[in-house]
Order: sequence, then C-alpha cells, then structure tokens
Amino acid sequence: MLHNALETHQSVCRWEGDTLEVYTSTQYIWGIRDEVAETLGLPPDKVRVVCHFMGGGFGAKNSPGDYTFIAIALAGQTGAAVRCALTRREENLASGNRNSTIQRLVAGARSDGTLTALSGEYINAIGWDGFSGPTYGPMEMLYDCENVRTQTFGAKLNTPPNAAFRAPGFVEGTFGLECVLDELAAKLDLDPLELRRRNYADHDLVEGRPFSSKNLLDCYRLAEPHWARRKEVRARSDDVWKRGVGLASQVWYGGGGPPSYAWIRVGSDGRATVVTAMQDIGTGTRTAMAQIAAEELGVPLNQVRVELGDSARGPFASISAGSSTTPSMGPAVRAAAADAKRQLIEIAAQRYHLEERVLEIKDGQVISADGGSWPLEEVTGLLEDAQILGKGARGPNPTGMRVLTFGIQVAEVAVDVETGEVRVERIAAIHDVGRIINPLGAKSQVEGGIIQGLGHTLSEERLLDPQSGGTLTQTLDAYKLPTIADVPEIICEFVDKPDEHLTNLGSKGLGEPPIIPTAAAIANAIRDATGADIHSLPITREEMLRALRAAEERRREPERVGAPPA
Amino acid sequence: MELLRPESAEAAAAALGNGSVALAGGTELVPLLRDGIVRAEKLVELREVVPRGIDGTRIGAGTTLAELEVDQEIPHALREACSLAASPQLRSMGTLGGNLLQATRCWYWRLKFPCYLHGGDRCHARAGQHREHAIFGNERCASAHPSDPAAALLALGARLHTTARELPLAELYRLPTDDDREVTALEPGELILEVEVPRPEASVYLKAMDRRKWSFALVGVAAARLSDGVRVALAGVAPIPWELPSADALEHATPLPGTAYKVDIARALIRRALEAVGAPATT
Repeated sequence: MLHNALETHQSVCRWEGDTLEVYTSTQYIWGIRDEVAETLGLPPDKVRVVCHFMGGGFGAKNSPGDYTFIAIALAGQTGAAVRCALTRREENLASGNRNSTIQRLVAGARSDGTLTALSGEYINAIGWDGFSGPTYGPMEMLYDCENVRTQTFGAKLNTPPNAAFRAPGFVEGTFGLECVLDELAAKLDLDPLELRRRNYADHDLVEGRPFSSKNLLDCYRLAEPHWARRKEVRARSDDVWKRGVGLASQVWYGGGGPPSYAWIRVGSDGRATVVTAMQDIGTGTRTAMAQIAAEELGVPLNQVRVELGDSARGPFASISAGSSTTPSMGPAVRAAAADAKRQLIEIAAQRYHLEERVLEIKDGQVISADGGSWPLEEVTGLLEDAQILGKGARGPNPTGMRVLTFGIQVAEVAVDVETGEVRVERIAAIHDVGRIINPLGAKSQVEGGIIQGLGHTLSEERLLDPQSGGTLTQTLDAYKLPTIADVPEIICEFVDKPDEHLTNLGSKGLGEPPIIPTAAAIANAIRDATGADIHSLPITREEMLRALRAAEERRREPERVGAPPA
Repeated sequence: MELLRPESAEAAAAALGNGSVALAGGTELVPLLRDGIVRAEKLVELREVVPRGIDGTRIGAGTTLAELEVDQEIPHALREACSLAASPQLRSMGTLGGNLLQATRCWYWRLKFPCYLHGGDRCHARAGQHREHAIFGNERCASAHPSDPAAALLALGARLHTTARELPLAELYRLPTDDDREVTALEPGELILEVEVPRPEASVYLKAMDRRKWSFALVGVAAARLSDGVRVALAGVAPIPWELPSADALEHATPLPGTAYKVDIARALIRRALEAVGAPATT
C-alpha cells in the first residue's frame, strides 16, 4: 500500500543572509536540520527548519527528500523562496509504500492451548532501496512461548522502495500471527480470547525483563462485552449476508525516550508559553502539551500557549515517529512547568509571608494550606518586565524494564457470500498506553488508525505493471482509500492507568497501536462469519470469493472421503 | 486556451473540431486535458445551449446527475445509477451527456501507454494488471466502460436526440476496431441534446464496487421491465456498456484470469436485479 497523506511531500526554501530556511512538512525538524546541514557542509545552526502545521506523515516524512534539495538549489540560484511540492501522482510514485510480505507461519500447541512453538519465515519486499522491517516482532513479543524461531529476509525488487509506514513490520506480522492464532483456536475448539489469555506473557521474552507496565489482561476484560455479542451478531445472518465477530491483539513500542527539552515562560499577566522545537504531526500534540503544562502549573488551559515547530526558536525535541511524541515530550513539558511553578511559589511565599511548603497553585489561584487564596496574577504582577523561566528535560526510561504498548480490537463484519462484498459494521478498540492526556484526541488517534487499517485490509493496493514495473495506481480513483461511507461504528476504550515506572507522566504513545490489529480482527471476523480463511490482503471481492470457494471445497472434501459408495 | 460561448446548440456543434472541444461539467474533460490525453486550443462551453432539465420522458443532456437522482419522475434504475456514481461534488457538476461519453478508467489508457485504444498494436491490460477490466468484447481492448447511467439507459431502451439525428442509445457505442479506435459513433461536430427514456413498469440498478462510495463499477447491472419484455445491461464489463440478451449469455463471457470473479458477481447481481423487477429467473 502507498503513502497518501493529504499534504504531499514538500518544502519551501530560501536563504536569509548566510542562513538557510527550510519550511517543510516533516515529522522531525531536527533530523531535517542535521541532514541538510551535513549534505551542504553547513554548520547546523545555519539551517533553520520550520514546520508549524502539517497534513500527515505516517512514517514517510522523516527525511528531507530530493524535493527539499531541489528547492534549496533553486533558491540559491534565484535568490528567491522556492517551493518544491510533489503532485498526487508523484506522491504515489516516489514517496514510499508499506512493503508487501510473504509469511510462512507455524504454531504448535498442547490441547489446552498452551503454545509450545511458533515459527515465522518472513520475506519483505523492499524495492530497489528500502529497508526490511521487524515483521517478526509480534511473534517474538506478544505471547509467552518457549520456542520461537523467526527468520526475516529483505527481498530487493525492481520497484519503488518501501518507507516506514505507521507501525512498520508489526502491522504485517500481526496480521499473520493473529490469523494463525485464530486458526489454532478453531483446531483446538477453544475460544480465541481464552487462547490468548492462556498464553499471556507476564514478562518480556526477548530481553528477559519485566514490563514497566502491562494491562493487556484489563484490555481482554474490557473486550468481553464486545466479544460476547458474537452470538447475536451471527444470528443476524441470512442466506446472502453472513455475519461474524473476530478479534486480534497487539503489541508495540511507544515508550519514547530522551533527550528532549522544553521551556516555559510565565509573564506578569499570568499567561504561560511553552516553547519547544518539536513538531505536531497532526495528532494534536500541541493541545496535549498545553494540557500537561496547564495541569502542572495549576492554571486554566486557555492561559497556556504552545510555540513549537521552529528549530531556531526552542530547544531540541524528539522525532514524531514510533509513537514517541507524547511520551518523549510530555515529561519534558511537565518538568518545565514544575520548575516554573516552583519559582512562582517561591515568589508567592515572600509576597504572602508563608512557607513554600504550604502553598499550591490551582485553577489560576495561589492557595495556602490554611485556606488562603489569591489570584495568581497578584504574584505574577510583581514581575513587571521580568519573566519566570521554567526548564525541563526528558529523563531516562526505567532501567532494566521493557516499555511496550498493548491492545485488542474486536471487529464485526458482514460478508455478501455471492458477490464477495465485505462490510465492517463495528470495531471496538481497547488500548493500554498508560495515562491518557487528551481523551478526545486519543479517540481520534484510534479512529484514524482503524480507518487507515481498514484501507489496507479492504481496498488499498499498489498495482505495478508486470512488464515495465511502472506504478499503475497513481491517482485516488485507482488507489482506493476508504471513504467515510466505509467507516464502521468505532468504540474506543482505554485502560488509562499511568505507567508508574515511566517518567513523571506515565504516558506511552498511541500513534501506531490502533492500526496494528485491525486487519487480523477483520479477517478473523470473516472466518467466524463464513468459515473462509483469509491469507492475503487486501480482501478484494476477488480474494473474498476465492477464499469462500476454498472453504466450500474444504467442507466438501471430508464428505467425499466419508461418503458411502453410490 | 480560449473559451467559446456560442449562442445556440447548432453554433456550438459547428464550432467543434479543429482543436475545439466541448465542455459541459468538466469532471472528465479537465483531468484529460491536464493529463495531455485530450488536447484543445478552444473549449466550447455548452452550459447555456444544451437543454437542461426533465420534460416528461425527455431529459436534457445538460442535466446533472445530482438533478436526476432526486427526481421522482425518473425511472428507478437511472436514479440509482446516478446516485451510485462518483461523489456528490462530481454529480453536481457532471452532466448526463458527458457521462455517456466518458472514457474508460483503464490505467494503461489513462497513463498513456501506447495501447490498442490509443492506436497501438496491443492491449497492455490483457497481459498486465486487469482486475478492473472487461469480461465481454475484450479481444482487442480489455478496457471497461465506466458509466453507470449508460447501463441503466441501455436497459431502459433510451433514445438520443443529437444535433444531427435521432438514434437508439445502443447505437452510440461501438467496439474499437483496427480501422477506428473510437468507442462512440458520434460524428465530429455532433452534440447530444436530449435523452428520451421510456417509462418502465419496473427497473433497478445494482452496483458492485471496491468500496461503498465513489468508485467505478466492478460490475453494474441494470434491469428494466417494459411492455415488450425485460432488458438487462451491464456497466464495467466491456469496453462499452453491454446489453445482455439473456441471463444465460453470461456463459459466453470471455474473462481474463484477473476478471473471472466479475462473472460470479454479475451472475448474482443479474439474478437479484431480475427478481427486483419481477422478471422470472432464467438461471
């Protein structure tokens, strides 16, 4: 499948004296700065990278790309600002794709469902210059199994190269693993959810370490009411439309890490400004950072502004990739707010002749343990032209612990067994990513992940001409993203328990987890509805009809063997 | 590029040719111009001169799909075909006349491969990617005709009134041949003015797509029951809208390896369509 962010890859570049300014759509302004500076032989601080808003990245916008260097070269020659932007066709030719895979999978289990062996052989199609992603990850990380063997091969092909794409490797690997788990459950006549419970991993098997936190069993418990709907859903089947329910579990990284820094400025008007040179990839991290700062400072949200997206105006901040923005940046912002609050309380203590330890700031008020309360502006007003400056840095991740994210999705589908039409009617998503900062923003992330997952499950497919290798699906009528009419009812729930071992915030990232289990949950629901095993994505009408035929032939096979002679 | 605004349909027709191309809704022409598939020095604006609106059984060729899909007087099959086509934005611009004349979505043709339809000596889709392509009439060119309304109008037995003549819709279309790669039989300088649509006793249009909306038909099936019998026509299965003499005619399909599934879909949709119009099932 192809990257198709609404905003195509693009940069506007211009020279201001001896400084190069790069306005670009990126997930990592500091990475762009360093790569541009190194390529051009400039000191890094002579390159300023700006990205205030962007229309989607999804893993494809971590590097400057040729378009940036073309704009730089032309800006140098013309002395003007030059924009180089990919057209939609170019976006579909040259901005990368999620790699296709061939997976050979084996699962061995005792009759009680205890996994005894898992084996995965993965071949990743990486084009002429791509990278081979961790397709093996879910098999090694999701379940407690003593014997796991994976082998992964990157296959070079004479096709455009792949790029990182929202949970690279794990989306593909989870589809294979979670479909095999369901086929195993069917063979053992076990409830698929129970099979997953029985193979719950209580510590990380790859590195033999405890988890900083893991609430996957809570996710399973919250999934039960959705899973329990399957009888009623199946009962709504008729001759044409077969209905069923399927689930799939998920593991991913998302702990973030240092270094990342943030500053907070509080002026005499009592308003706070968070300054950090991070970028908002479009997930609403700007709002989340303001919420973190407001809560820690004890001021209303509308008193906090966030200035980000400019490498010349703020300290170093992390990349927005690998579900790391909130867990990397949030702790730095919280630390900066705490630093500013400490200074405010110091001033308040002098102003009101009280000890610092009896003072707190809440809802824009300075309050004392004995019930005193004064508007914060009364304290900040003393500053006049002076400012409070709070500084914060992201601390390390917990030593000796594994920080991962978990979740489960339950999908309900209807399949027209005569025409191969698949309609996803409902998806319940339950994810465990530590503390939720912004419930509405988090829900949007989950909905977006599921909708994007729906695309690669049902309709998105890059088609290449077998003779020339040319990309045939260059426009959005041929390359079929889901429309709003394809979107099912989405129910989104979170465990929402702060990870007590992880930073001063206890939050993990949520960008990637929701796209990981969607395809397998849908495929497993299709098996529940029709008995057909889905082994290939996308599930086009052709693929669905093929799988239905294969299931029908399988059903007939034992009859033929066991039938009495005519 | 120059925009001409003729005073009458006759003047518009006379202005066509020699680098002048007709412009109605523009939803098809503009992308084709942008991609360099159609070249034009002048565009002849039809909006003011081609009839628009519905008068009894006659539909102005300038009527938009959006107007047709909400009009209770329009036979069900045509309304459904319009409402299942494209997106609301496109249907608000696209006209019925333009829709009937739209070109295939074949990616090889759209990407200007030197294919049979572009005058070349072979169809690239036959040996290449052809999952959206034809199961009938595909020997030389395997492209699929994308128009939903055309299939509906074919089943309804519609007739066209042009600036030059009156003809059954079926005669508007022709399979491309070695001598002539066009898929329509409209003469240069001929404009469709009106479409006459008989009132059926019952009619229906069913469409299989890759997603729920805004997708061209993998298979579209129109069925209409008129006083002289039931007619079935298909979209997305041949280089032109395809009338099926009977449901059994599906057995004579010539699918490519990647389009065999369309026969299964067509079989199911034809059965459903015949049931919907109250025709006896023949298979």
